[in-house]
Amino acid sequence: MNTSNTPNKSRWKRLFRAELLSPVGFLAVAGLIMLAYGAVEAAGWREHTTFISGTTASADMRWQASAARGLAYMLVYFAFVLLAPILALAASFWAAGRRWMTN
Amino acid sequence: MKTEILTSMKARLRLWLRALVVLLLAAALWLPSVHLFFKQAPARFHSATGVPPKARALAERHLRLWSDPELRKREIERMRGSNAEWDFMGRTFLAWSLAEMSLREPAQKENYLRILDVIIDETIRLEREKGIYFFLMPYAQAQPYVEKPARSLFLDGEIAMMMGLRRAVEEKAEYRQLMTERIGHMLDRMQRSKALAAESYPNECWLFDHAVALAAIRFGDYLDGTDHSVFLREWIAKAKQNLLHPETGLLVSSYTTDGQPLDGPEGSTIWFVSHCLRVVDEEFARDQYQRARKELGRELFGFAWSREWPKSWKGPLDIDSGVVIPGLEVSPGGSGLAFIGAGSFGDMEFLTKLHSTLDFAAFPKRDQGRLKYCASNQVGDAAMLYACVLGPLWEKVKSAKP
Repeated sequence: MNTSNTPNKSRWKRLFRAELLSPVGFLAVAGLIMLAYGAVEAAGWREHTTFISGTTASADMRWQASAARGLAYMLVYFAFVLLAPILALAASFWAAGRRWMTN
Repeated sequence: MKTEILTSMKARLRLWLRALVVLLLAAALWLPSVHLFFKQAPARFHSATGVPPKARALAERHLRLWSDPELRKREIERMRGSNAEWDFMGRTFLAWSLAEMSLREPAQKENYLRILDVIIDETIRLEREKGIYFFLMPYAQAQPYVEKPARSLFLDGEIAMMMGLRRAVEEKAEYRQLMTERIGHMLDRMQRSKALAAESYPNECWLFDHAVALAAIRFGDYLDGTDHSVFLREWIAKAKQNLLHPETGLLVSSYTTDGQPLDGPEGSTIWFVSHCLRVVDEEFARDQYQRARKELGRELFGFAWSREWPKSWKGPLDIDSGVVIPGLEVSPGGSGLAFIGAGSFGDMEFLTKLHSTLDFAAFPKRDQGRLKYCASNQVGDAAMLYACVLGPLWEKVKSAKP
């Protein structure tokens, strides 16, 4: 049972111990951004981006509290849409470059 | 030892450079491509006839609000918590949209006009029962109006316009007298001022409200056979003389009753003003639109937005501008109203890019055929709906002889 998990475990360990400046490191950060995006989306924080228009998502919530959630959502969303794909593309370029150099 | 440190530093530097190069390469490939995931065919949001799909989805949400009192109460409370004006403007933009949609979709005319009449009747009732301050921001009561008794051109103009558009779809006798009275008040106030300016707030005259008032007067002429063409020409001449911002040639946003500018040009005003002025002076309206496009319209990587202020003038952040995003100077208020300008003047290239930005950065939420933009609010979405359906009524009035 344990032996079947070993390759997966070592892959995860490799991922977390990876140098940030490496193809695996870039993919790890992109993955974390994806997870964060999934979390803020599931929490329903998209609604709070209404703070941009000067409104709160709910009349029961203070504007500052709503704006903080909205701002957090926006940061994670733009990281998901802009930064994560760049990191993934960069990782693939880097890996391809390494392979080309070693051949 | 030194050599080892130097070698290690060199290796580290090479690693950073490699990372930077692949990141720059990836960014150069990705950033210009992002818009392709948000770009829509113009038929989704703009059409000469019928109701475009995006407008229908936006309208569904508003029609639900107006048929579910509990939902409407919640939404209005949320808006009034920030700005009572938005409660009012959410009504007017929706009413104007429903009038346009009645011409675009005759089979639904009865349904649309029924809701439109409910909006007009409830708005007039609230104004009558609670007074003009109900729909104004609190500072309206901080000092007395110059002209007595207190009236707001903001309310008179938009209510007259609601009635005018409704009547242009199908005459409703009880609105005729009410609209004529409102137009009478507006003309009286404007003509009492040398600058032809009437207050929306105490000693504050807003270009936005004047443009709506002038369009309402023009609709009144079309509907009732009156002729205010001399007054309309005189207003335009005075505006060219007193209200143009010297650096940009754009009309300023607000001024005192004697025509002294209080603000410079603003995106949250000028795009909409250029649309309204089309029924008054098409050439001048187009000139203002083109100047706004040059001074305020911005594009990058297939996206477009509006600045709130031109480079040559910077005003204070306020409830109209919304939270301006630094760096790119994206104004939510200005960008929202840029849709109306671009839609009105058929500037499809700009409009398509604005819609890409909207779906990219305004966080759409779809639910059972209904669409709303989370970064917006009810008034913003109603303005967006209006931008998608405006046209037929303007053409009807423009094609009639003044």
